Amino acid sequence: MRLRFTLCLVLLLAIPVPLFAAVQDETDVDIQVREIAKTLRCTVCQTENIWESGAPLAQQMRGVIRDRIALGHSTEEIRAYFLSRYGDYILMEPPKHGVNWLIWVAPFLLLLVGGFFLYKEVTHWVRDTPTPPSQPEPPLDDQARKRIERELES
Amino acid sequence: MSKGWQLTLVLILLGLFALFYQGLWGDPRHIPTVLIGTEAPNFEGPDVETGQSISLAQFKGKVVLLNFWASWCYECKVEHESILQLHQHFKDNPDFVMLGVNYQDKLPDAQQYLQQYGTTFSHVRDLKGQLAIDYGVYGVPETFVIDQQGKIRHKWVGPITGEVYNNITQKVIAPLLKAQPATTKS
Repeated sequence: MRLRFTLCLVLLLAIPVPLFAAVQDETDVDIQVREIAKTLRCTVCQTENIWESGAPLAQQMRGVIRDRIALGHSTEEIRAYFLSRYGDYILMEPPKHGVNWLIWVAPFLLLLVGGFFLYKEVTHWVRDTPTPPSQPEPPLDDQARKRIERELES
Repeated sequence: MSKGWQLTLVLILLGLFALFYQGLWGDPRHIPTVLIGTEAPNFEGPDVETGQSISLAQFKGKVVLLNFWASWCYECKVEHESILQLHQHFKDNPDFVMLGVNYQDKLPDAQQYLQQYGTTFSHVRDLKGQLAIDYGVYGVPETFVIDQQGKIRHKWVGPITGEVYNNITQKVIAPLLKAQPATTKS
């Protein structure tokens, strides 16, 4: 029991204190900044959102989000502001309208179409593959019969 | 599977590959701006050289060319001569104003840059990057043309040189200046 307690204590102490501090120090505003920043694309690095990007522009965008939260703007208002400046490109998740539907629907459509063709092809192969005529089991020769009997007796 | 279906499938796949290729490796400069035809956001900031406040509202009723630049930007140096030439071309027209916007830069570096390469027009500092974000700027250099009604009429990402220079002077700024010759003072 004492050993288990000591082990738990050692494990707890091994966890870096700043990890806890970072979580505890995060205010509601920080959480809101993070949630909004994660949905916006870093325009100079393309594949990253502005929360994860270290680019100066992403840093300034995070600052703008914070300022707007301080002014009382809602999450949707802040996202709409960035959208009005950069267009759909700024959103990590393309909005579901117009040609953007293609992005959402295409993978499933391809799966369906691919699955259909695969099914057609497989059934085609199965139908066309000639099945070998059933043949009777060949009778055991004397030598094999004797070997099996010998092995069973031993 | 019939030949027709096979061909259709190959064409669909090729089309999707082309889309993904464009998305992954396409030039972000070709992303269309949503700001054309919209109201140019007002701004106010200190002049790089004098520290005096400059705002867009001061130039209401004029054609304004905004050029975003930075001292660390190589392409800004490439276009600098053309930018000065462009100002030289239109500076005598009372309806034309040219403003530089110094972006993500240190003040001494920006001042040193202007001393070294020369300037004939004012430059405003974008202190927190707010101005650049208001204009949907991706990087520098970027150039905007704002008409007399305060609407953004043109945006170009990249240096204003060669054909781009000819296009912006002859097909964008000159027609705008001809459209409303009378100066509207605020």
